[in-house]
Amino acid sequence: MITKKELPPGDFGIWVIIYVEFVTFAALFIGYAFARRADVAMFNESQLLLDQKSGFINTLVLITSSWFVVKAVQAIKKNNSKLSSDWLLRAMGVGSIFIVVKIMEFLDKFEQGINLSTNTFFMFYLMLTVFHFLHVILGLIILFNIYKKTKLGGYSDKDHIGMETGASYWHLVDLLWIVLFPLVYIMR
Amino acid sequence: MKIYLTLVSLTIFAFLCGWLELVSSTIIVILLITTFIKGQLIIDHFMGLKNVQFKYRIIPILWLSIVLIFIGVAYYT
Repeated sequence: MITKKELPPGDFGIWVIIYVEFVTFAALFIGYAFARRADVAMFNESQLLLDQKSGFINTLVLITSSWFVVKAVQAIKKNNSKLSSDWLLRAMGVGSIFIVVKIMEFLDKFEQGINLSTNTFFMFYLMLTVFHFLHVILGLIILFNIYKKTKLGGYSDKDHIGMETGASYWHLVDLLWIVLFPLVYIMR
Repeated sequence: MKIYLTLVSLTIFAFLCGWLELVSSTIIVILLITTFIKGQLIIDHFMGLKNVQFKYRIIPILWLSIVLIFIGVAYYT
């Protein structure tokens, strides 16, 4: 029989932060969808200027990195710090690809003279993706700190709440992108 | 591994819909449903909420549902 745990994994404080992020991104996602109704043709034309391949690669990157973090948590639950830190290193390595791809995408848009005031679509595109990009950077910093502590044997099968806290944040970053990708890059 | 492969497969499906310009009203509904499935898999299996108390699990599920329903309404009405 499966026993229900009292609380979600990690420190409860991170879940308060996650819920706040949910509200913030919900406002942006829904705002984008309803703003589109005012000028569907302009949104569709502007969307064609986005590189769907970049969005696709970054989705695969975040899913893979998130999965590696799951493996890291599983490894520490078996008290295997070495394996856990290896998975975290892989998660950071793959996660870093997101940063590179996104910077290239942003540079491409800026070279085309696209900015926040270009039109409503690009205002939402830049707000959503830059805001999410900052979350990815913070997530990678958190993963790096967890990696360092894991390397030093700071987590064990009995004490790994810190790792679960960071992992929960990284999965949030993944979850937000899962909604962002089809909404901004695909649906028209 | 099964969860990961499902997420990758649904992502490839979404990409192909855009890449092959197959997006239509029907496809948008399918994309919203597949996005819900992907989100649900992340919430349950990556975030590890599958076996926590229902009141904690339901918050991200409700968030995902409300966001996708509003997006659907905005695209259809």
